[in-house]
Amino acid sequence: MVLKYIEEYRDGSLARDLVKKIHSVSKKDLRLMEVCGTHTTAIFRHGIRSVLPQGITLLSGPGCPVCVTAQKDIDAFVGFARVKNVIVTTFGDLIKVPGSSSTLGKEKAAGADVRIVYSVFDAVNIARENKDKEVVFCGVGFETTIPTIAAGILMGIEGQVDNFSVYSANKLTPPALAALMETDGVELDGFILPGHVSVITGTDAYRDTFEKYDIPSVISGFEPIDILQAILLLIEQNEAGKPALENAYPRAVSDVGNVKAKQIMNQVFEVCNASWRGIGEIPSSGMELKKEYQKFDAAIKFGMDMPDVPEPKGCACGEILMGLKRPYECALYKKKCTPLNPVGPCMVSSEGSCAAFYRYS
Amino acid sequence: MIEEKILLDHGSGGKASHTLFSNMILPLFENFELSKQDDGATLDVEGTTLAFSTDSYVVDPIFFPGGNIGDLAVNGTVNDISMCGAVPKYISVGLIIEEGLPIKDFKLILETMATAAKKAGVKIVTGDTKVVPRGKADKIFINTSGIGVIPPDVNVSGSNAKPGDKIIISGTIADHGITILSSREGLKFDSDIKTDSAPLNKMVQSVIQSDCDIHVLRDPTRGGIGTTLNEIASQSNVGIKIDEQSLPIRGPVQGICELLGFDPLYIANEGKLIAFVPEKYARKALELIQQDEFGKDAVIIGEVTSEDPGKVFLKTTIGGLRIIDMLTGEQFPRIC
Repeated sequence: MVLKYIEEYRDGSLARDLVKKIHSVSKKDLRLMEVCGTHTTAIFRHGIRSVLPQGITLLSGPGCPVCVTAQKDIDAFVGFARVKNVIVTTFGDLIKVPGSSSTLGKEKAAGADVRIVYSVFDAVNIARENKDKEVVFCGVGFETTIPTIAAGILMGIEGQVDNFSVYSANKLTPPALAALMETDGVELDGFILPGHVSVITGTDAYRDTFEKYDIPSVISGFEPIDILQAILLLIEQNEAGKPALENAYPRAVSDVGNVKAKQIMNQVFEVCNASWRGIGEIPSSGMELKKEYQKFDAAIKFGMDMPDVPEPKGCACGEILMGLKRPYECALYKKKCTPLNPVGPCMVSSEGSCAAFYRYS
Repeated sequence: MIEEKILLDHGSGGKASHTLFSNMILPLFENFELSKQDDGATLDVEGTTLAFSTDSYVVDPIFFPGGNIGDLAVNGTVNDISMCGAVPKYISVGLIIEEGLPIKDFKLILETMATAAKKAGVKIVTGDTKVVPRGKADKIFINTSGIGVIPPDVNVSGSNAKPGDKIIISGTIADHGITILSSREGLKFDSDIKTDSAPLNKMVQSVIQSDCDIHVLRDPTRGGIGTTLNEIASQSNVGIKIDEQSLPIRGPVQGICELLGFDPLYIANEGKLIAFVPEKYARKALELIQQDEFGKDAVIIGEVTSEDPGKVFLKTTIGGLRIIDMLTGEQFPRIC
């Protein structure tokens, strides 16, 4: 099934037809933001910018979870790695993100037990196999990832794994879109909304933001045909002056989303304020463990409360995440900041817009 | 900025490895042979041209679908020597074994090495065995070195690519890397993928001995074809353009790449070669490669241009164009 989708949604002649249509419809200069980091990567990977009309600008938004992780949270991850008998489990992208003094990768090279996992369940299993150690999972993700982290915690309870805990730096997408719209200088003509997140949240999750700001919004999948289709719909809405919230990924996204995943997420987590890198605190945009699950909260378990620290001087990750700057407009880009020696997280993550620009252009 | 410690990234075969080699290793050992940076060194010894190469194998797990660390180590060095245009002759084997390795595993690895050497037509003529305390190595590490003879008039090098050359890949990409990844703990995929580890010396000899005027041969191991093509573009100071639609990749391999967010262009191969051939000989070279037992799926994937020297471009399936850079950092799966 997966393969069938890959072939169908990468079909060259279908893509050329869509591109032709985009060129014939497009009149105005438009600034469209792809919110999700996976979209950023897909857009580069398939060379989508190179086939669009010149007036269409694609901007990368705050949808790469690593990129929006606040410096103090990275410092906390490094902090855990320095605690004796702690195994830090993390998704791979976080390994190289610089905190104020170190990275998880450097701590690992210095002897810390840092392990890359592909899901939170691996972390629970590592805890089960290492009863004499504490296992901390670095919880960094959006609505796509949070339900699995919640399920991991429930799995830990069921298996009486009490040497496992989670540091939650998880974030929610719709509040970030609203915060973006409220930011001075942000001028956008449409959102390409994240497909994976929307599978969980459903189309309805964006309705309030859409109604308040009346901005063209289209949920898109990740294959080139999906993305071109979403871009075409956004252009058509703009040209007709009729903003709409549309779902161009109906094979995966419904109006209500994945009800069960949301239930598990809301059973274990509750909404809190959260710090976004470069953007600052956004009200009700994070998720923390509910009181009854606090024994799984690594921040509480280890008393890990890192101070807010200023981001590295010159790093424009925040402005880039809001579409205010392009990566090449950052003074550090390709000079002090490269994928080998990244200064900001946008250069680290495979989904970061600076890394994508560096790699593909 | 120079790191204070060696990081895993330095061994990825990508940009960090190259920086380590260029900034630290090459300046200290500086000599003409090393500075050519081919898969093996080409040496003139009293009228005979020899190819000499070495490689160490630390793969985890040591057993995986389609092979184990033993045949990987033999085939790897056979191929590195072959990529110099040479006929591999003799191989050395250095074994570093962790205390506690089951004898039956050790025996199986040795048997596989013997079979691989026989198949490739090389002799294992010298070696060394060391055992280290438990925890000081991971099961077994193997180093193999080898020498081969380069026939007269053969001149194959990463610096020989010329505008107009066609680029041939000898089969499907990313099989080995994805096999290893999916055999690792925690990533159990129900699929029939297996390593492509294979000796390529016979394939190389058949094209070298023809009049196809092969310019470049390279086996795209760590860092995948993306990194290898970048190395050649920069060594030869030419541009390279490849066509995504023509890239051969097995369905299940592509499926796993999609699932985990890997770009197959950067995934290791262990039984594939890339050949750069003048356009007029491309068809013939392709047919010769396809006649080899390990080259059935060979195709032409692109060509060399005089524009954009040092750069590699990919024409995507939708008709877009993007740059293929060298691998930076190890590839990690997507997280959202």
